[in-house]
Amino acid sequence: MNIKFIIFIGAAVMIMLLALFVGPRTINPFGMTDTEREILFNIRLPRVVVAMLMGMALGASGAILQGVLRNPLADPYILGISSGASLAAAVGLLSGFYFFGSLSVPLTAFIGAVLVSLLVGAFGWKRGGLWPERLLLAGIGLNFLFSAVLMLLLSVSSDEGLRRAVLWMFGDLSMADWSLIPTASAFVVLGLGIAFARSKALNALILGDEFAHSLGFAVQRERLLMFSAMALMTSASVSLGGTIGFIGLLMPHIARFLLGADNRVLVPASAIAGGAFLCLADLIGRSIMPPMELPSGTVTAIIGAPYFLYLLRRKDVLSV
Amino acid sequence: MSSAYNGPILGLSEMSFHYPGDRLIVDKLSFSIGNGEFIGLLGANGSGKSTILKLASGMLRPTSGTIKLWDKPLSTYRNKDRAKLLCYFPQHLDVNVPFTVREIVGMGLYPYDIPPQMTVDEAMEMVGLGEKAGTYVTNLSGGERRRVFIAMTLIQGAGLLLLDEPLANLDIRYQIEFLRLLRELQRKKGISIVMALHDINLALQFEKVMLIKDGSILGIGSPDTVLSGEMIKRAFDVNIEVRKSDRGDAYITHEKWV
Repeated sequence: MNIKFIIFIGAAVMIMLLALFVGPRTINPFGMTDTEREILFNIRLPRVVVAMLMGMALGASGAILQGVLRNPLADPYILGISSGASLAAAVGLLSGFYFFGSLSVPLTAFIGAVLVSLLVGAFGWKRGGLWPERLLLAGIGLNFLFSAVLMLLLSVSSDEGLRRAVLWMFGDLSMADWSLIPTASAFVVLGLGIAFARSKALNALILGDEFAHSLGFAVQRERLLMFSAMALMTSASVSLGGTIGFIGLLMPHIARFLLGADNRVLVPASAIAGGAFLCLADLIGRSIMPPMELPSGTVTAIIGAPYFLYLLRRKDVLSV
Repeated sequence: MSSAYNGPILGLSEMSFHYPGDRLIVDKLSFSIGNGEFIGLLGANGSGKSTILKLASGMLRPTSGTIKLWDKPLSTYRNKDRAKLLCYFPQHLDVNVPFTVREIVGMGLYPYDIPPQMTVDEAMEMVGLGEKAGTYVTNLSGGERRRVFIAMTLIQGAGLLLLDEPLANLDIRYQIEFLRLLRELQRKKGISIVMALHDINLALQFEKVMLIKDGSILGIGSPDTVLSGEMIKRAFDVNIEVRKSDRGDAYITHEKWV
């Protein structure tokens, strides 16, 4: 295995350990008190696992989508999946859907994300296949529609619960616990598995449909598989902790810059980078001015945007 | 392939094609490609050259008619098996992701579990890009990019190459070098080639050419008969004169534009 990739994994593990033991209260792993053990296993660990899962899902989804849409500026949210999920959660709350208790918001968000993915897929479907331009345009259109309806609901609603839920949708890991982790990890692992297994096909799709066909891939089937993997992971991520921006867009570019564009490396590397980056953003967000916590989505954007602009200056990396 | 089979490598019979609700692009076309043939495909813009090559490669399904690759219908092949026998080179190359030259050339090995004889380094050398193995394709000129994909096509090692204007964007040196390379492959390895091209002077040196108009074959055979001034006028609607040089090579002169 490439030495750079090993260093990459090492750095991610370091960040994860840092996020576990450092924070408003620093924990010494070799001499924990009962309270510290409680904090570690019931608060920090689920939070770090959720951050890893979400970041991995978003990073890998970004890499997949940039390949499938052949567009280096694509990210999973451009297809309207997050705004659709937020809208579904809001509608669920307004109509009094509390049937699953604290799981109601993530569950409705997940259902919304899956429905939007299907809707985008339906709009992107023509002549027996998914077409990148149609997917992108359908996603952008639906994104505007859902955001507008959500704003409308917010402006006419006085429901305090709804406002809280919408804040949560903007990317908040402070409520993370173990309850959603098993299901969400199953989706993320499945999505990652599909993407990794078909990473050669993704490389070929980037060269264009004709070359992908000539190299022996069933273009439409591969695109559908990739789209499904992306939809599974993004939906799982939204249900875990809402909408966290910039990871899906940025991580594939960083991974490409450090390790190259071959998707056999890029997909896992974007996932690892995404997981580590969100852990770091969350660590910063909860440590910088305790007891107040900054939403992780804001931190990722504040760190991510300048770095992205720096990459934009390097024409050979972004090539747009 | 089975040694008992002596028929054409690719046989198209009564093949027609149109997009749903659209005009007929290919009209009851029949022709076959024999083992080791090198055919130049000519026709005006929009005459159906690219569509014919896409149909022959299995990218598009004909509306009616049949296509056979060796002794089996093309549509019955598994994708990977087809890719080892038939390679299609599209007209438009558009990659905006920074793959390196080596990475793209290496993709030619994707259909194989056990790589064929040619190595990635050999393929890159053949197109003069050995020095640029680690360069991002996004930093290469149009002609260099085309050579990267030509190397990928060579390493894929298919016995039948369907090339849609591979000479576009290449300067005259690489046009000639690429044609020589293909000729060598055809002679040494018995590869069959169909190449769409626009340069009639280059086409005059082919052994066999096919002239297309409105999705039908206007003429097929040696350039002496197919690429006459009269036939070219019918296909391209332009006045051309075919002359012979002192060495006996055919060349064209066309009507003045000034």
